Amino acid sequence: MAGTTERSAAAKKRKPTNVFKSAHPNKPERPKRGKKSEKRLATENGIKALNPKWGYTFVAPFFVMFLIFGLAPVIFSIWIAFYNWDPLGDEQEFYGFTNFTDVLVDENFWIALRNTFSIWFFSTIPQMIMAIGLASILRNPRLKGATFWRTILLVPNITSVLAIAIVFGQLFGRDFGLVNLALTYLGMPAHIDWIAEPLPSHVAIATMITWRWLGYNALIFLAAMLAIPSYLYESADLDGASKWQQFRYITLPQLKNTITFVLIVGTIGGLQVFAEPLTLGGNMSGGDSRQFSTLTLFLYEQAFVNNRWGYAAAIGIFITVIVLIISAINFAITRQIASEDNNK
Amino acid sequence: MNRKTSIRSAIAVAVIASLSLIGIQPAQAAKIQLKIWTFGNVIQTPLEKEYERLNPTIDLVIKENSMDAHHQSLITAFKANTTPDIAAIEVAYSGFFRSYPKYFQNLSGLVNESDYLDWRWDQGVGNDGKLIGIPTDVGGLQVAYRKDLFAKRGLPTDRVAVGKLWPTWQAFINTGKTYVSKLTAAEKTSCKVKKVCYGFIDNAGTMYPAILNQGTKKYYESNGTLIYNTNANVKTAFTTTATAMNSGISTRINQFTSDWNAGMMKGVFATVLAPAWMLDYIKQQAKSTKGKWDIADLPGGGGNLGGSQLTVPTAAKYPAQAKAFIKWYLNPDMQLRIFKEYGLFPSASKLYNNPQLTGYKDPFFSNAPTGQIYVTGAKQLRPIFEGKNQRAIDNYFGQALAKVAVGKMTASAAWADAVAQISKNIKN
Repeated sequence: MAGTTERSAAAKKRKPTNVFKSAHPNKPERPKRGKKSEKRLATENGIKALNPKWGYTFVAPFFVMFLIFGLAPVIFSIWIAFYNWDPLGDEQEFYGFTNFTDVLVDENFWIALRNTFSIWFFSTIPQMIMAIGLASILRNPRLKGATFWRTILLVPNITSVLAIAIVFGQLFGRDFGLVNLALTYLGMPAHIDWIAEPLPSHVAIATMITWRWLGYNALIFLAAMLAIPSYLYESADLDGASKWQQFRYITLPQLKNTITFVLIVGTIGGLQVFAEPLTLGGNMSGGDSRQFSTLTLFLYEQAFVNNRWGYAAAIGIFITVIVLIISAINFAITRQIASEDNNK
Repeated sequence: MNRKTSIRSAIAVAVIASLSLIGIQPAQAAKIQLKIWTFGNVIQTPLEKEYERLNPTIDLVIKENSMDAHHQSLITAFKANTTPDIAAIEVAYSGFFRSYPKYFQNLSGLVNESDYLDWRWDQGVGNDGKLIGIPTDVGGLQVAYRKDLFAKRGLPTDRVAVGKLWPTWQAFINTGKTYVSKLTAAEKTSCKVKKVCYGFIDNAGTMYPAILNQGTKKYYESNGTLIYNTNANVKTAFTTTATAMNSGISTRINQFTSDWNAGMMKGVFATVLAPAWMLDYIKQQAKSTKGKWDIADLPGGGGNLGGSQLTVPTAAKYPAQAKAFIKWYLNPDMQLRIFKEYGLFPSASKLYNNPQLTGYKDPFFSNAPTGQIYVTGAKQLRPIFEGKNQRAIDNYFGQALAKVAVGKMTASAAWADAVAQISKNIKN
């Protein structure tokens, strides 16, 4: 025990500094050079001359579509957030900021916010660890049928959420569910009510999300791992680093940017969790005591069960603000990491 | 030269191909695609096929959804003018859509008003008096119970005797307590350690709408004023249900879940408050329990849960064909057939004296005269006004009751919670 720590401490001292210094100068420069030469080539071929004339025409389809289906609904929802909007009515009552102030004092909104973050935590963090683990298994060159395993990882991702929800709903059944059955065999005295209790229901939903996105994220990590230059591992081998040390001091630091990317995408997805709690609970309120009501589900409930479109629009604006705040935090962290990399 | 001919022949092939495509298409397009949006088992597939056989020019395109999702997509469809030709509207949502009659076509004169149950008919009349929907079935409510389990716990099994056990809801709860007290020791402890929870009724929460619908008013006065917090009927339904939840007679299994299906097969609960349309579901899900079930009267008089109307939206593409289908599908004779084949109880009161209906016995439910039982129940019912946001209010009371069921709140705290939630969220 003492021997191992000593050795790893020694490895720590020796390896990372050496390896990184030799590895890093090469890495950021190579793509830069590539980009520059590409740019020059493009100008020489005369594409630049065409740009002013045709460029906008070529990008127009996207922007027209975006204006119609992206921007217009956004502006409309901001507009109706100031009204007591009756979905099928003819006359709308102006409300001013009432909807917004109502959201802030609505306990159900805060419950939804809490649930959303709880589900996000249970789905993103374990998922990331498992995805990195899976990716390092797949990275192993001695693995037979690598393409097969990589393909099969994506299957959950293309399965319909509804089908997943039905299957998981049965797995997590209180009385006859397979999960509880398995837990009983493992010696759990009591059955867990996976749907009615807040924390277990969050775990159940997080499991659904994890099952669906694990393979996808594992592939992203795998791609990032394959891009790590092999000479890093070779020199680490020469230095006598163990597999774990190689993972800890080469793979993980090299994955930093990918981890940030997966975290950002996961957070944005996590704030929009909708289909899983909806189908698991079978109603719009996210379980009988709102135990797994999420932000988007709460928005939907207000719009389509209570027919309060203006209020729902106000909730939507708050969700946007929350996403913006979290994106800003993510952005700051990413920049921090990037500057740390540059300083090395 | 050579190249030109090849181009010509290529063009010729393309023209012929496109002509033949055009040629094929009219034959298919000649069929009128009548779009029907529905939920649950409102339109039976075999009858859909039969109608297409009888009317070769009509192709019925049916989109079936879950109940809430169906009505929600209808709202957006109305707004976007992309409605189907026929839309089913459930009673719980009738109050909402009746507030917007301009989105529906007038159906008066399509069928004979006097053939139908008056209060079910009224649920299809818009707030401005326009007839917007024709009633499909009546969700007459009775108690389906397991004879074998009743016998095991020393309760009577004969349906008349069983009905006499519970003239009132309190008596129903007391019967439940007796039943639960006679469970085997293993079954009782099973619930305490949260394994399979044996009980008398599948879910006591289902008592709430049953009791509520026995009154004359729910959450709204007929002029649209909200009275959910002052109407004694609502309070009674709420407190009685809460009492049942606290008395340990419920398994707390939610209906239409896999646990419910399994529990039905395994005899985890002995009673289900069963609307007529649920009988078919029980038959499908618990085939092996055939002959073990019977049907008794609902405590407190007749009951109703569910039922719907078929409507033709204003933006329908083929209104004439839509009306023709509704006329065919909802006329009293067809309603009788639908009852015999699929168990949906007719809203055509003209049939209520018809021996084919009153004499109908169901072998699955121990040859219970289901026709007669549900007719008696439907006749006892009084019309009840369904308000605009009734479904949403139902949800809040349901959520409050669920908190009582899991022991998170007392009945009075839950009541206060529900009223506070509704007053905050429902404005009209």
